[in-house]
Formats: sequence, C-alpha cells, structure tokens
Amino acid sequence: MKQTFILIRNKRRVLGYVLSLLLICTSFSFAQQVKGRVSDPNGEGLVGVTVSVKGANRGTATDIEGNYKIDAANNAVLVFSFVGYVAKEVTVTGQALNVTLEVDDRLLSEVVVVGYGSQLKKEVTGAVQTLSYKDIKDLPVSQVTQKLQGQLAGVQINQTTGKPGQGMTVRVRGQLSVSAGSDPLYVVDGFPITGSIGAINPDEIEDISVLKDAASTSLYGSRAANGVVLITTKKGKNGTNVSFNVFTGLQEVPKKGRLEMMNAVEFAQFKKESYEDAKQAVPVEFQNPSQYEGKNNDWYDALLRVAPMQSYNLSLTSNKDKVRTAVVAGVFNQQGVVLNNEYQRYSLRMNTEYDVSNKVKIGFNIAPQYVFDNTPRTDGDRGTGILFNALHTWPVMPIRDEKGELTLFNRFPASTGNIFAYANWVRAADELINETKSVSLLSNAYLQYQPIKGLLLKSTFNIEMLNSKFFFFNPSTATSAINTPIPTTAVSIRENVENITWLNENLATYTKNINDHNFELLAGFTNQRFRQESTRIQADTYADDRLPTIQGAINVNRNGTNNGVQEWSLTSFLSRFTYNYKGKYLLTASVRTDGSSRFGADNRWGTFPSVSAGWVVSDEEFLKKYSKISFAKLRASYGVIGNNNIGNYTSYALINNTVNAVFGNTVAPGAVITSLANSNLGWETTKQIDIGLDLGLFNDRIQFVYDFYTKRTTNLLYSVQVAQESGFGNFNDNIGEIKFWGHEFALNTKNTVGKLKWGTNFNISFNRNEVVALADGIDRVYGTFHITKVGQPFGQFYGHISQGMYQNAEDLKNNPQVPGRSTIGSIKLTDQNGDGIITNGGDFDDRVIMGNPFPKFTYGITNNFQYGNWDLSIIGSGSYGNQLLVRHIYSTANLDGVFNMVREAKYRFRSEANPGKGMYGTTVGGGNVTGIERDWMNSRFIADASFFTIKNITLGHTIQAKNLFFKSARLYTSIQQAYVFTKYWGGPNPETSAQANGQGDGGNLSQGIDLSNYPVPRTYTLGVNLNF
Amino acid sequence: MKKTIILTLLIGGSLSSCKEDFLSVIPETALSSATFFTKEADFQQAVNAAYVPLRSIVNDRAWLLGEMHSDNTYYSRNILFGATEQQEDIADFAIPTANGVTSNVHVLNQYRLDYQIIARTNQILSQIDKIEFNAATKSNLKGQAHFLRAYAYFELVQYFGKVPLHLTPVTVRQEAALPLSSVDEVYNQIVKDATLATTLLLPKSTQEAGRATSGAAKTLLANVYMVQKKWADAEKLLREVVTSGEYSLIPEYADAFSTSTGNKNNKESVFEVQFQEGASGYNGNFIYSFLPRPMATNELQPITGTSNPQPLTGEGNNTPTPDIIAAYETGDKRKDASIAYVTLSGSLRDNKVYPYIKKFAKTHALHNNTGTNWPIYRYSEVLLFLAEALVEQNKLAEAAPFLNQVRTRAGLAATKATSQADMRNAVYADRRVELAFENKRWFDLVRTGRAIEVITAYGNRVKTKPLDYYYPAGAAARSNAFSNISLLYGLPADESALTPHF
Repeated sequence: MKQTFILIRNKRRVLGYVLSLLLICTSFSFAQQVKGRVSDPNGEGLVGVTVSVKGANRGTATDIEGNYKIDAANNAVLVFSFVGYVAKEVTVTGQALNVTLEVDDRLLSEVVVVGYGSQLKKEVTGAVQTLSYKDIKDLPVSQVTQKLQGQLAGVQINQTTGKPGQGMTVRVRGQLSVSAGSDPLYVVDGFPITGSIGAINPDEIEDISVLKDAASTSLYGSRAANGVVLITTKKGKNGTNVSFNVFTGLQEVPKKGRLEMMNAVEFAQFKKESYEDAKQAVPVEFQNPSQYEGKNNDWYDALLRVAPMQSYNLSLTSNKDKVRTAVVAGVFNQQGVVLNNEYQRYSLRMNTEYDVSNKVKIGFNIAPQYVFDNTPRTDGDRGTGILFNALHTWPVMPIRDEKGELTLFNRFPASTGNIFAYANWVRAADELINETKSVSLLSNAYLQYQPIKGLLLKSTFNIEMLNSKFFFFNPSTATSAINTPIPTTAVSIRENVENITWLNENLATYTKNINDHNFELLAGFTNQRFRQESTRIQADTYADDRLPTIQGAINVNRNGTNNGVQEWSLTSFLSRFTYNYKGKYLLTASVRTDGSSRFGADNRWGTFPSVSAGWVVSDEEFLKKYSKISFAKLRASYGVIGNNNIGNYTSYALINNTVNAVFGNTVAPGAVITSLANSNLGWETTKQIDIGLDLGLFNDRIQFVYDFYTKRTTNLLYSVQVAQESGFGNFNDNIGEIKFWGHEFALNTKNTVGKLKWGTNFNISFNRNEVVALADGIDRVYGTFHITKVGQPFGQFYGHISQGMYQNAEDLKNNPQVPGRSTIGSIKLTDQNGDGIITNGGDFDDRVIMGNPFPKFTYGITNNFQYGNWDLSIIGSGSYGNQLLVRHIYSTANLDGVFNMVREAKYRFRSEANPGKGMYGTTVGGGNVTGIERDWMNSRFIADASFFTIKNITLGHTIQAKNLFFKSARLYTSIQQAYVFTKYWGGPNPETSAQANGQGDGGNLSQGIDLSNYPVPRTYTLGVNLNF
Repeated sequence: MKKTIILTLLIGGSLSSCKEDFLSVIPETALSSATFFTKEADFQQAVNAAYVPLRSIVNDRAWLLGEMHSDNTYYSRNILFGATEQQEDIADFAIPTANGVTSNVHVLNQYRLDYQIIARTNQILSQIDKIEFNAATKSNLKGQAHFLRAYAYFELVQYFGKVPLHLTPVTVRQEAALPLSSVDEVYNQIVKDATLATTLLLPKSTQEAGRATSGAAKTLLANVYMVQKKWADAEKLLREVVTSGEYSLIPEYADAFSTSTGNKNNKESVFEVQFQEGASGYNGNFIYSFLPRPMATNELQPITGTSNPQPLTGEGNNTPTPDIIAAYETGDKRKDASIAYVTLSGSLRDNKVYPYIKKFAKTHALHNNTGTNWPIYRYSEVLLFLAEALVEQNKLAEAAPFLNQVRTRAGLAATKATSQADMRNAVYADRRVELAFENKRWFDLVRTGRAIEVITAYGNRVKTKPLDYYYPAGAAARSNAFSNISLLYGLPADESALTPHF
C-alpha cells in the first residue's frame, strides 16, 4: 500500500508544481524573510508546494529540493498546501520553518490522467476509471489486458483463446458495430498506438485510465467511440530506486472442464450399437469393443503439456540534477500448454525528462522490443485447428505405433464408416512451424515551454515502428488439415510486414484563476500518418523438408504471393475549456475536428463536441452537516464521438486485375470493378449521455461510483448487401442505428483498517443494446449462426427450437416433420410458422432467435488483505446470462459415427424403450436423418456460459532488510485462473468466441461460437520483488 | 490566451494549405475506377474477365441444373453422408419453393454468376464508345460483350422466366435491384445482343481460339429462335454456320471432346468454356464431381491417371441413369465413348458397379485439377438444330441429311423415319445421346413441351426401383422426391431478401 502512495504522490507533485506556478502572486512589502524546507513523511523534499501567508494575498512555491523563502511577519500563519497532501498551517516564529506534510489518503484527492492532460479526481466530470499498476502487478500473464479482467466497471474483457500473447477482446460499454472495429483506442504516453497493446511489457506501466463516456473521450474524436484506454508508463521518482522482479511458474490445463469424449472402448461400443440399430453387419473392428481396453488414445490430451513460464524485470527510477529517468528491462518467456508453443518478449523502456530551465522541459521515451511467437495451428474449425481435430479423432486410432514412434497417418477401412482420415496431430504440433518474429519501437520526444505564467506550450513527436516476419512451414510429414494423406505437399509461407506511424502534436494550455473561478483552456493540432508495407510469398512442393527455402520449392504459388500497402492519415484540431468555481461547480466543454484519409472525398472532416458538468454536493453547506458523507459529486455529460475503423480505402471503387481468362492455352489478363465508390463515406457517430454519482462515506472508507449511460450509434459503417443482379455483393455506406444503455456500479471499501487491513473492490455492469435501424428495406442481417434484426439485440443466435426427439410413430405422425427426412428418434423441431412442415431458410423459414451471446451482467470482485508483512489478494471476474453456441458438436456429436463423440452421446435415442436424454437422436438412417440435428442450427447447440472465475490468488510476504544488499524483498506465490465456476458444458473456456471459420475472434455479428479454442491454463507461480 | 489562439491559427493555417494532399491517400496496390476504362488494354482486360464466370458456371452448377435435373443422370446415394440435400433436391425435383422463391444454393449461385457476366459486360458496353481506339478491335470486343450478355440472359430466362433486366452498370445502391422484366422483354434483348454479336464478331478462322465468334453468335441466336419456335429464322442462321466452312464433324465422336491439355477448340467446336490445368487456378475439376463415391485411390487412378490420386468421399453426382444408357441404339459408338463403368469396393450396394460419364474423363497430371474444356456448342448440335428446324417446317427431305450426318459419325445407319412426327422423334432421340451430359437435356425437354410427362414417368421409376437408381439395399428415394416438377426454377431466396421486386 505504501508504494501506491509514492506513485500517487509523484503525480501530485508534477501537477502541483504546475498549479503552484500559476498560483504565485508577486507582491513583496514585508520585512522579514522566512526560509525552510518542506518534505514528505520519508524526509524527501517536496517540489512545488504552495506556501502562502494566511490572510494576505501573497505566496510562493518550493523549489526542486523542497526549499522556500517567503516574507512574513512574526506570528503570521503560513499555509503549506500541496495536491495529495493534507494542508498544514504553521505560525512564523522568526526561525527556519521545516515542515513535513502528511499524505492525504482520501483517494478522491488523487490526480487522474485524462485525455491530453490530468485532473484532480475530485474535479473530473466524465466517466473515468483509473487503475494503478501496483494493484495488478502480480498476475503472471503476458498482456496487460489480461490483468484488467474483473477490474473495470463497464468494460467487458474476455480471453477468447489461451494462446500466449493473444486473444483478448475488450469492449467498453458494450460498444459494437456491424463491420467497423470495436476495440478501444489505446494511448500510450499520449500516443494513440496502431500496434497491439498485448505486446507491451506490463511492467513498464505505471497507471491506466479508462475513458468511458463521450465527454472523456471526445478529444479523440473519430477514434473515440469504442472508449479510450490511456496508459502512462513509469517516470523517475524521488531519489534513486532499483528493483528486480522475477517470477517463475508452471501452467497446466485442468482435467475438469475439458470436453468429455468417448474413450476407445466406448467409441467402439457406440459404433457397434449403431450398426446393430441399423440392422447392418458390424465391421470386424467393432465387434468386440473390449479389445480396446487399455488402448485408448486421448488425442486432445496428447497435445497438452505442463509448461513453464518466467518473467524478469529490472528497473531503475531516478530523479537527480533536474533529470528524471525510468528504465525498465524485461524478459518474458512463456511456453504454451500446447506442444511446441512458445512466446518470448525482450523489452526495454527508457523514459527521461530534463528541466532545461524553469521554463523549458524536454523529454524522451524510447521502448524497443523483440517478440518471438511460435504457435501451432491450434485454433480453428474442423480441419484447420488441431485442437478441434484432436477432439474428434477416433480414439481407436493409435497416436504411437508398436515401436513407440508417432504414427504418420491413420485411416480405417471404408467399411467402418471412416470417411475422414487423419494425420497425426502431435506431429502437426511438433513439426509445423508457425512463427512470428517482430521488432518494434515505441518512442516519444517532447518539448515543453512556459513563455508566460499560466501558459504551457508543448510539442511532441512520436514514432511507432513494427517489423514482423512471419514464417510458416508445413513439412510433408504432418498437416493440420483432415483427409490429407501423408506425405503431403510441403508448403511454406513467408510474410514480412513493416509498419511506421508518426504523430506530431502541438498543444497549448492556459490556466487562469480569478478568485474562486478557475479556468483552463487547451488548444492544439495534430497530424498522424500510418503506413504498412507487406510482402507475402507462398511456395510449395519441396524436394527436401530440411530446406524450406523459397528456392528449394518446386512451385511458387501465385495466389499466395502478393504485396500490399495500407496507409492512412489524420489531421486534427482540438480544444477544451474547463471551468470550476471553488472546485464545487465543474464544467468542461471540448471539441475535436478530424480530417481523415479514410473518409470519402466529399466528407473529409468530422467534428466531435462534448460538454460535461459536475457538482460536488458535499462541498455544499447543507450536506456538510452529514459528517458521514465525506464526498458526493453528481456528474452529467453529453458528447458526440466517432469510429473511423472503416478500412483505409473503403470509399474507393477498386479494380481487381487478377480475374484472368484462358483462351486455348494462353492466359489472358482480366480486370473487373469489384466495389462501388462512395465519396460520402464517413465515420460512425455515437452520441452518448452519461449520468454519474461519486460518493465517499465514513471518511472515504466506502467509495461508491455509479454511472448510467445511454448512447446511440448512427451512420454505422455497413457493407450493405445489395441484390447481386447488380454484379456487386455489397455497397459500403453509413447507415443504420444501434442504441446502447447500461448501468455501472463500483464499490471500494476498507472493511478493516487495524492491524489487519482488508479492502474490497467490487464492480458490476449491465450493458444492453438494441438495433434501431439497418438499411432501408433491410431489417435483418444474417450471419452463419446469427441474426441481427431491428428491434432486437445485436448478433443473436438464430436457429430452430428443438423439442427433443420424435418418440414413436404417433409422435412423428402428429407433429410437423422435415419432408423426407424426419423419422422416429430424429430431432423434433418447432414449426414456428404453423405451415405443417419444418423448413430451414427461404420464405417459410422456421428459425427464430434461440439465444444471446451477451451477458445480462458482468462483475468483478477483488479482496486485498494485509496483516503485518503478509499480504493476500483474490481477484474474481464473472459474467452472467451469456450463452455460447457449442459449434463443435456438429462434429463431436455427429451421429454418423464418422468422428469421435462426446460421452453424452451414449444417451442418444436408440428405441422407443430406450429414448436417451433428448439431446441426441437416432443414428439410424444416416446423413439424411442425422443431418438435420447436426447441420440445421438448433437450440441444442446453445449452452449457458455464465461463469465466475477466480482469476488470481496471490499471497506475499515482505521482508525489510537493514544490512543486506537490498532494502526490501517481497516473496509471493500465486495461482492464475485458479478456478472457473460454471455450468458450461461445451469446453473448458466459457469466455471463448471464435469466428465461424475458426480464425480469431468472432467479430461483432457472430460472437460466442465455441470451436474448442486453445484452453486458458491454470498457472502456479513463485515470485520475488527486490528493492535496492 | 490570445497568443495561444493566434499561435494555433498561425501554425494550423500554414498546415491546412497542404492538408488536402496529406489527407488524400490513394490505394497503391489496386487500380481504382477513376483511372480504369481509359484505354484499349483496359477494355481487353474487362472483356477477358467477363468470360471468367463461365468457368464456375459449367464446373459447379450447370450440370446440376441442366443435366442431373433430368432423366439423364442421378446421384449415387451414399447413406453415410449428409448435407447433400441441396443437390439431391435438384435431381429429385423436390426443390423447396414457396412464392416462386427457393433457398437452394445452386440455384442462387447460377443466378449470381450469370449476373456477374451481365454486370461486367454492362460496364464495358457503357464505356467503350467513349474511348477512341482501333475500330476493328473495338468491334471485336463489343461483339464478345454482346455475345456474353446474350448468353447469360438466355440461361437466366430459360431457368427462371422473368428476371431483372440490367443493361447499364449500377453505380449507386438504390439502383441495385430492378423489377422483373417479362420473358418477352428478356428475349427481345437477347435477340438484340446476339444479332449485334453476329455482325461484330470475327469468324472462327480469324478470331483468337477460345473467344466467341460470329459462328458462335449465330448458333446462340438460332438456339434462341428454336426456343421461340421461329424455325425459319433459325434455319437461316444455321445454314450460314453450315455453309461458312468454318466447322466440320471430327471423324470419331470420342475425339470431339478436348483432353486436359489438347484438342481444344477443334474443328467441331463452336464455343467452349476454357480451362487450363495447373496451380494457377484456371483449372476445372468437374469430372471429379461426376464420379460415384466412395472411391478408393486404386479405383480412381485408372480413370484420372494422376500421380497423386486421393480417395473420394461423400456422394457422387451426375451418374448416368439406366434410362440414358438404354437410350443408345445398338451399335451406337457414342455409348462407349460417353459412359464407362467402375467398381467401388467401399459401396454399400450389393452391386458395386457404377456407370460414370466418360466423355470428359480425360487423364491429367494432378488430383482434382483438370484442363478439359466444356463444350457449349458443337457443330453436331448445329446440324441437329438445323434438322429439327427443317422438320418443324415439314421440310423432311432437307432435314434428313443433317440428321444422318450425325448418325453416320456415330456408326449408325440413316434414319428410317419418314413422317414428320417420326422425324421429330428421331431428331429428339439423337439429340439426347449425341449431346448427353452436355447440359442440354432439361432445356430440350422444356423447349419441346415434354418435361412434365417425361419426368413424371421417370420419377415413378426412381421411386419404385431405387436399386436401379444407385440406392443401397434398404434405402429409397426420400418421401418428397418428384413432388415439385415445374418448368422453371424458383428465384433465389437470398436475392429475394435483397430486392423489393420478388
């Protein structure tokens, strides 16, 4: 806890210095000069403390060492005030006055980082939540977004795949769109980055502010609609501190929660029964299931391992001779729990700031990084992801042969119904190379100048670079595809990507205080440009797997070989006006104007204004008598923000000049217009209202924040489907409207403050959305398994409602059927339109909305305990009411017996006397019958995916050292992803979401598909923090 | 504060002078429409691209809608395999259709592919006269565009009847969907386009091999007139093709078809869809769709001759029916050239011998990658059209030589038919076997008014004798088979959802 205050104090110092400079009034008339030094409780000098003579209009500020001089008469009272500290009054005695200021531990006196500046938390009028990195530092994960799970009200963070360094989806206030991106804007030290936040070493971070409402974000204009995450990296502190943090851990996938598949004996028994039920001869392989006793092959388990991870961070912070420096060097090495999966990060950050003079300050931040990642093709649909492949591979197929060697290829005779043959997935994990090496650089340089009192001019120049090399090699001996015989055609893919982003910002801030009226005006203009160049080469047919060079290939594949350029530019003007009266009545207005290359030529510029107001009710006399209310503030805001994630060239009509024809034996080049131009194409607009309440009770021991928001997103970037008689599939337009609303509650309590300190942070969020309009004449958009329909929430699961199976001839006769396909024991679907038959698609479709991937609420709870030198924290994160579509059962419960089955399929319909549990139907009749329950999406695929996960438990012990080589040490042990409480039956990860094709996250229109992605491991770690 | 504003304005102002340049970011790796259609080569490329959808049409769709949707071929049911109802519904005349709309995916794709050709040719025809270049080249390009547009609309009108008639490129979203035009309006446009094509195009001898020719345009137009029963108009055009000297029958029927690498656009070929084997993506694989399944590699390899055969799973399509096999007269050389047999060890039938289409099954280098061209019009069809047009005008004596020319090549004696009715039936019978598996059967049945009668009888045979139609023992046609025998396909449901007009 102590360390937290040091961090906060430092922030306060910077702001306080600035403020105090503004507060100085210069009138010297009295005789006696008082000197002294102001220090913090540790004896460090405090810079920028305001020293004023009570009752006189006169004051000064402490210098960099904490020293001050002021003229004051004897018996006059000096007031020492400094942001973040309790103000102190001392009577002048004629001697030097050295003063120690106590830390004000009311958290509302914190300073928070907001867009283009910082504010006293007390005076913030928008919905901003901050988090100090200290609170989440122990979590043994590679990405900062993983550490944020469960911490932020109104921000849903899901880990859709357990791949190290990947798979986090972050949605602020449920924001989404039809086709524009929905990730928040990440701003690192003022620089909106274009690369992945996941790659940044979390140990470089000092604190995080999440801007949620339009008033907080509108200074980011056309990029603000998805929310903004401001990340501030470490700065030099008082004195010189060196610390070394290290942890090492082991990760594993718990057995509990994995999908339960049949073992070899059960599978053989299933096969035997299905032949018998169909009155067909049982193939010899399955006549005696017990022959597979002790010969089970758990393909899924064979791909997993217990994997180590290590992290080392060495940091130096220093504040000497007007130079403030922070250096963090980190090494992170995580082996994945899937074979051959490896993630390494080597990072360095150097932040330096120098006071050239009282008026001029310069600063440089530079953060180079190298990331190595090799991930086998774990995730994906059947036939692309080896985890899904492994789940459904027959357990009677041997992983290893008699000699213990990995088999190459497994196929049973056609008479056994083995239509899909399999390569060995363990080989696929081991032998395929799928690696990315990237070198990146994030850097800022700035110059700050204070020409006159109250005016600060700041220019920054920022550069972000990324150079990544992707290499894929599929040797002839393995494949992640199904039905591909070994040896297969060896394939290599190389893709090099080079990104460069630069940003120049020029800002002026003018602050003025007239009596109790406090003004601040910010104005600035910025230019940012991004350029990406990529080259991809695909080659195949290798004579020798040992030489996967391009020249070693017999064939260079034209279709997979290409180069690309992506570029955008953004010019902006921004301005903010802040006013408060006595810190009690607060008003902020801001506006940003963005010109973007992405917008159509006739619609280049967008303007995004906002206004917000706050009222610190607890400063009013009528509330002051209620001493239990230590703080109360009402907030309200309104703003217009945009989303420019619409693609770089979407407004142009593009020509595809690779549509070639053949005449005789000659290839003739061909070209077609593939898209329609739209010179009016623009950003998506979100108008948001936020109403909030901040409350502190019992001297802020209980702090409560409530926000209600409502927003409307219009001009959705929407690739409107058009009738293809036009020759085009889509027209990119700004169309349609979604409304969102929600409630967020956050509660921080100090439950006990004695020897045992126990604090609780709890947050809960309710986010809702509804589609108000789509294109004219279009009231719905279909995904593969979803529908987005006017009047309904976004992206709902769409399909037939299952009523179990037809139990007997009478049941079949009396209920609507699928003509030509329904039989006794096959799935009984609901005839929604009452036409007497079950239809899939077309005008008489019987599909309806059958589920919702969005939670009713999400919540997080963190408990921190401190007892003497011991500390314990428990972080939990949960979601309620969300559903998943267990897509993989189209294979893992395929009744035709072509794949291994979920164990539950034992309880399928076998006869009227043995009807099973109503989930799985008869195997008799083959694909014509079984295909309905498998291929027609129906409510059996939908599973409740509510969960509560104990994300982390950490127990630490701190040792203060006197005569050792270090000042203090803290040893800790933690369990990450300790336990998942859920009824979800479709697999180990209720947070998962895959695209229909299995690649990456599901996107907005099709969230919540489970394709058996990489499981999230449980991690046990031991760590130590050493301070020197 | 003033200073701040002044400073901001100063710097901002100096910057804004170049900001439009800064904000104008042109795609570097793709041409945009602003610079296209400005020179001859652009139109060359646009015309080439207009041919491309034909590959997908004949490789993936036309045989489903035009051949398996008739008594010539059926699927060979593999009961282990699901998700096959889209094809089976077509073969079984059980396509779910409501309000004249169907969700069948093959119908949808055929429709969209035809409109791709139409949209591409509309772009060309709307722009080409604005740009000056060599008149002969321009005529040739325009002729090809008109030919392709006529062909696409001809397919559409035969499959669907009324369809939207797009003749200019769509530029804004609101123009994307048009009302359905009447069948007459569509045919008028087809005749207009095809007629223009007959005059603009070069004859085969001077045209680049594989492109549309004046002979192809005349055959297409004659085909349209045959459908419209404008026999005299058809006769005139067909005679021009016959007397042009550009075409003749290949002596052996089996040699009339291209191989994977050669014999393309031969003397008998009037128009064919061009494929090229290899990794560049211009290949076809339709013969694989036409093989019964499951087929082991050792059963496949003798047919395809590839170095890397892979087993075929799933369900085979376009398997010749007993009806077409019986339709060949004794001694017809076309029978063995068109149909062969293969034994499938993995079949669930007691009789594991299946017929398959041999006329296109040429050997090639790599699995699932063929360069065999697809015949749209062959000279033998020109002769049979001409014979039919003459028979319908009761010029029986003039008709007989053209029919007999085709029969002779097949190793058959001259027709013995003498009455107009007999002659008509003789031409029909010969068309069926001469053009078997060339996606002519369904259109012929509809055009000649025999579809309902023939298919109803055929459906009864399939339902009563499932074993003859490749069902394994115990299996039978689905209960909805042959429940929807209609002359037109329903319009595609996915398009119906995007247009207010149907």
